[in-house]
Amino acid sequence: MEQLPDSSPALAFEKDAFELTVEDVYDISYVIGRDLLKISNAGEDVSELQFRIVRVLEVFETLVNKYNLSLEELKMERDNLKTELERIIADSANGQGTQMLGPNKLVVDLTDPNRPRFTMQELKEVLQERNQLKAQLLVAQEELQLYKSGILPQAEPAMVEVDLGSPPSNRPAPVPNEEKTEETKEEKSTIKKLFSFRRK
Amino acid sequence: MENGKMQFSAPVSRDRVISKFPKWYTPQACLQTKDHWHVRVKTACKDRAPWSLGMKMSKVVVVGDLYVGKTCLINRFCKDLFDRDYKATIGVDFEIERFQLLGFPYSLQIWDTAGQEKFKCIASTYYRGAQIIIIVFDLADIRTLEHTRQWLVEAMKENEPRSCSVFLIGAKRDLLASAECQRVERDAIKMAADMRAEFWSVSSKTGENVQECFSRVAAVAFEDSMLQALQGGVPSHIGSSDLIKIDRGTAGDPRAADENRLTCC
Repeated sequence: MEQLPDSSPALAFEKDAFELTVEDVYDISYVIGRDLLKISNAGEDVSELQFRIVRVLEVFETLVNKYNLSLEELKMERDNLKTELERIIADSANGQGTQMLGPNKLVVDLTDPNRPRFTMQELKEVLQERNQLKAQLLVAQEELQLYKSGILPQAEPAMVEVDLGSPPSNRPAPVPNEEKTEETKEEKSTIKKLFSFRRK
Repeated sequence: MENGKMQFSAPVSRDRVISKFPKWYTPQACLQTKDHWHVRVKTACKDRAPWSLGMKMSKVVVVGDLYVGKTCLINRFCKDLFDRDYKATIGVDFEIERFQLLGFPYSLQIWDTAGQEKFKCIASTYYRGAQIIIIVFDLADIRTLEHTRQWLVEAMKENEPRSCSVFLIGAKRDLLASAECQRVERDAIKMAADMRAEFWSVSSKTGENVQECFSRVAAVAFEDSMLQALQGGVPSHIGSSDLIKIDRGTAGDPRAADENRLTCC
């Protein structure tokens, strides 16, 4: 057997059972058929044995075939499941935030220095305070303008211009730009400061 | 001011003195076609009625899409400034502009509101008690004209029907060639007539028609207030707490306005 030139079919006998293919089964059949031929040439009646061996080889062929097909199917099934698993893991990692937040929710990047931080209520309060201060400023500007233009009666500007200690009616009304006392100087510099805010 | 001290009012500049009733921009869309003061108003002013009626101030609310030029319009009128750079208004802002109408001091409290959707919930709380609603649109962007109707609806939600006079102002007329400008104005006049509003076409950049438009606003506000006051005491918006109460420290606080409104209206 080993001396024969085409010894390759015989290699199928040495293979691991789980690695056998249908081709290996055909190689095995070929080798067994050749051996049977040798025996029959020697004058023995092997026809009964030949039929049984053929039957066994056919069963063998079916089993190997079936095994290989199942193996292939299982491999494909395994690969599909693997891909599916990877997709689900990736999805859940990407959309983790939105899945937990639900609709109409926003994710805030805490490292963004311009991220939203204050509430509408806080903004409302700041605006109200701003409006109040602006209104007070406008009133102050108007009053200063009145004093400056001398429209208000003289007793009234005195209330602002004299120091808090003496009642205004006891003092003669100061004439703007003429009295050079320290008090009025100081008063005027304050007014000047205020007037620097005046809009044109 | 309640103590009468401020009856001595500071003088106003010459362009804020209005003695002749200012003219409309177009007779096709104007609030009134007469060219003189209402006779009852004129007579009442001779009798110094504005003092006794407590006539001081009207509230003007300026609304419209973002970037149509609301703030620029107010800045041109109140400060005679034009800033080319766009800076979105945050929530609301206001200016107080003093006039002398028929010899009496009278102020407009002009509320500048943010056009951005995100500030609407703040700005809309300031709509209440408006005597004049100014809706601004961009003459060079026809969509902003289409949106003016919605702005009117929203402003009127906070006010009594027929309690406000409405001005529809097309801004940025300097951006349009005259033929184009006329075409847009035709559409705007139609819209204004539909809204029973008075139409004006202005440029804050050049200042064209800005002074005229606000003089008209002031005169209409003053005359309306006077007529209402003469008819049935103090009209709802005169002296109402929806105006800034400068002397009570509740300036511009809509919540304070809410509380007082129950007792004053």
